[in-house]
Amino acid sequence: MENLLTRLRQVNPLRWQLGLIALAVLLPLPLGNYYRSVLWRTGLYIMLGLSLNIIVGYAGLFQLGHAAFYALGAYTAALLNLYLDVPLLLTLPASIIVAALFGYLITRPILHLQGDYLCIVTIAFGEVVRLVLVNNLFGITGGANGLSGIDRPALFGLDWRQPIYHYYLMLIFLVITIFIVQRLEHSRLGRAWMYVREDEVAAEAMGVDTTRVKLLAFVLGSGWAGLVGALYAGKITVISPDMSKFMESVIMFCIVVLGGTGSIPGIFVGTLGMITLPELFRPLKAWRDAWLGFAMVTMMILRPEGLWPSRRVRLEMRGAKEVSLPTPAMDD
Amino acid sequence: MSRKFTLLFLSLVLTLPLFAGCQKEAEVIKIGLEGPMTGDYAYEGQGFEKAVRLLVDQTNAAGGLLGRQIELVIEDDAGDPAQAALVAQRLVDAEVVAVIGAYNSTATEPASEIYNDAGLFHITPSSTATGLTQKGFQRFFRVCFLDDRQGLFAAKFIDGVLNAKNIGILHDNSTYAQGLADHTKRYAEELGLNVVFYDAINPDDQDFSPILTNIGAAELDAIYFTGYHAQGGLLLKQSGELGLDLTWVMGNASNNPEMVQIAGLANAAGTYITTEPLPKDVDYPEAKKFVADFEAEYAMSPDSVWWMMAAEAFNVIRYAIEQTESTDSQVLAEFLHNEAKNLNGITGPILGWDEKGDRLGTIHVAYIINESGEFIMNPQQP
Amino acid sequence: MQFIQQLINGLTIGAFYSLVALGYTMVYGVLKLINFSHGDLFMWGAYLGLTGLNVLLALLPQAGAWAILPVVIIVMTTVALVGVLVERVAYRPLRTAGRLAPVISALGVAFILESLARNIYGASWKTYPTGITPTGRIALGGDARVSVMQIVVLAISFLIMGALYLFVQRTRTGTAMRAVSLDHDISRLMGIDVDRIIAIVFVIGPGLGGVAGMIVALYYGSFDFTLGWTFGLKAFIAAIMGGIGNIPGAMLGGMILGIIETLGAGYISPQWKDVIAYVILIIILIFRPTGLLGERMAEKL
Repeated sequence: MENLLTRLRQVNPLRWQLGLIALAVLLPLPLGNYYRSVLWRTGLYIMLGLSLNIIVGYAGLFQLGHAAFYALGAYTAALLNLYLDVPLLLTLPASIIVAALFGYLITRPILHLQGDYLCIVTIAFGEVVRLVLVNNLFGITGGANGLSGIDRPALFGLDWRQPIYHYYLMLIFLVITIFIVQRLEHSRLGRAWMYVREDEVAAEAMGVDTTRVKLLAFVLGSGWAGLVGALYAGKITVISPDMSKFMESVIMFCIVVLGGTGSIPGIFVGTLGMITLPELFRPLKAWRDAWLGFAMVTMMILRPEGLWPSRRVRLEMRGAKEVSLPTPAMDD
Repeated sequence: MSRKFTLLFLSLVLTLPLFAGCQKEAEVIKIGLEGPMTGDYAYEGQGFEKAVRLLVDQTNAAGGLLGRQIELVIEDDAGDPAQAALVAQRLVDAEVVAVIGAYNSTATEPASEIYNDAGLFHITPSSTATGLTQKGFQRFFRVCFLDDRQGLFAAKFIDGVLNAKNIGILHDNSTYAQGLADHTKRYAEELGLNVVFYDAINPDDQDFSPILTNIGAAELDAIYFTGYHAQGGLLLKQSGELGLDLTWVMGNASNNPEMVQIAGLANAAGTYITTEPLPKDVDYPEAKKFVADFEAEYAMSPDSVWWMMAAEAFNVIRYAIEQTESTDSQVLAEFLHNEAKNLNGITGPILGWDEKGDRLGTIHVAYIINESGEFIMNPQQP
Repeated sequence: MQFIQQLINGLTIGAFYSLVALGYTMVYGVLKLINFSHGDLFMWGAYLGLTGLNVLLALLPQAGAWAILPVVIIVMTTVALVGVLVERVAYRPLRTAGRLAPVISALGVAFILESLARNIYGASWKTYPTGITPTGRIALGGDARVSVMQIVVLAISFLIMGALYLFVQRTRTGTAMRAVSLDHDISRLMGIDVDRIIAIVFVIGPGLGGVAGMIVALYYGSFDFTLGWTFGLKAFIAAIMGGIGNIPGAMLGGMILGIIETLGAGYISPQWKDVIAYVILIIILIFRPTGLLGERMAEKL
């Protein structure tokens, strides 16, 4: 097994990446509509996980209100589509911009907060967004029932009620997302994020503009969540304030941490664990939540660094034990 | 070792779909039930299941439908539209002939499209959003009533029977309660009443004393609450504890004996309720029998009006299948549109359905809670 | 006079938030962990109290209000035991695993506890037996009234909080607790059994949470399985507002949150009161980044 993996590592990355994409393209073909929708949903949460990973994984900032930006993106797309008749795919840039803008506005004044205090502000913001949508601000958000009758994407004259087209649309954006995130990870900015995550004071001393770097993480992550929200609105055609509820943010957060903070394959594994498997275990009925909770606790105890962590994080956690340094803290 | 584990995990995930969903049943009639079995609305969804399950078991014990047994396929949408779309697809894949569900309009909307595309016969017990029946779906029906008819009834009752002048209206920000509140406000103002207080509570709360303090200061002749029984009960209890002397009128979502329990007898007595007739006041034996059987089976009464509606939806489906001797969705839908008239419903008479699928008629009555906590029909009706 | 009435309403809600916030703050103090399962432990207090009262009143119908006392003790012990168990199983193995893993573990425990409650007790609203709590009101001049139950609730809350404060400030164990919250390793060097102290915190925090759950359920008379999340989140906010890790801070935060909420609900609108509370929280944190009474954390140098 280890052998196989080492050999896999030696294969040209481009080749196995293309292989994975081919697999993703072919995977839904033999499946029914239900499983195609499950795959779509998996893709959706992988993208959400990747966007949150920029904030939590790379920059090490505690964000438990990510769903708010996902909801903001969805509402932007829906409002433009319903009131101004903008075709759904053309609303995507606006969704990104609005979510990113809110990401900027809300985090600008609170960036100096430390870990858990930042966390509570993001929770509060998520709840504020949900309540404002429920209270039907300006009378355009449709109250608790949200907005319905959103147009599906119209492209190539396809029948967009079929989940498979949404899956492929999702896949295109997913590939783009992964490409961008990978480039970011190894960019100057990506290294700055990790520097901030590991040691903010040292980063600042080395000339990293920590405020700007953290702000960029929030803006990029939020904007990307907004895009995912718009894609969601385009398939489900109904959106409600529940998109911004705390539970939704919790699930996104778990996806990032369960899979392995800061790691792209980790997000895939995390999404499988938090979204796909619970969906496929529907026969457990009312006990699904309990099993999910049990699995979360067990996984964390067995592999606190996540199921598929980035090499850096794993070395930090496992390596630290071997030389028996005092408590390694990830985001102090 | 850890890699091995991950790979094992992955391969398990990838092969799971192959095992699932390959059972084949013959000669049963499958009926789907979609509702929130978990999540914030779990109370309603689990009630749907109880009510429908009871009727299915009774039907099966009596020899089934058209000589075939009924299999109830239950799916949990947690009240979430995305999950509703998924489970709708599951029900379609399970080859059900008809679907009852979902609870909230937000979940019903995406599901109804999938059922419509699959040509399924679909009845919602409780989703009142007007838009649902505006899409021209020929096989989609409601057994609940739209809010505006109850709004009109409530306004007439408050005006004509209670002779109130200055009234207050309170909702809980859910779409249903807000719709009912808005309609009542409109009709009340048309009748010349002063709506001097109009506000909403947050249904997640336990404590409503702040708003009750305001309501007490507003000197209202009557206050109409359109939300659900749990909050209704807390409102009654806390207004009693604050020593307020208010005339409370509740909407049909509070038509639930549990409200009396939550409020306490002293606080609940004298409260009016506008609602569909209770089974005990419906002249049909079916209605009384359903309640008696429900109590015998679950040692509780069918608390929520939406549970009754879910049972009603099943009865309608059963009736349609019996009468047409068919399980074809199109046949069933046409039967409901054209032939099903004046049925004995457990929620009162069913006059029929209009071309959009909305239930016809108005059947609302006013109840009052008496000193021993029973719901009795108010002697004066508008 | 309406203002005074609203203030009384606010203090009552605030007392509940404070009691629950104490659990968050104590655990945070020693473990630097946001114990997301605390809200559900609190909810279990309400459920266990219900079962306890029903059983006891069925056996001894004449017990009346006296039934509350033994049931409170049973509930407190049971929830405290569950709390210790949770700490032993789900948190202790993760003590050196950074800060994210324990949070996920805590959320997992919360999922388990809520799912168990929903499956065991069902999703419907539960009502407490009636007639065992004191009724009646006392006029305060003008239109303002305070109910006997409100006085009882406030008295019990202040008593518990005062006792806890004295315990933490004056006793050996309390001092050890404060030492552990500063630094585990140094505390160990000073001869403090850190594991034991953490276990004690998990006895007191969830124990108090369980009692609070039962008091809340007695006061309102009814609740459902969403109680844990809604109250838990509010109490957590109260803890942060006051400065998490700080016991008087949790009390102050709870009271302030309760009063903001009622005044917001009374003078603006109940549907906007939570928004108002969250916005005030954010404003407080902008100007006092570690909460009202939180000490400024030393920057790592």
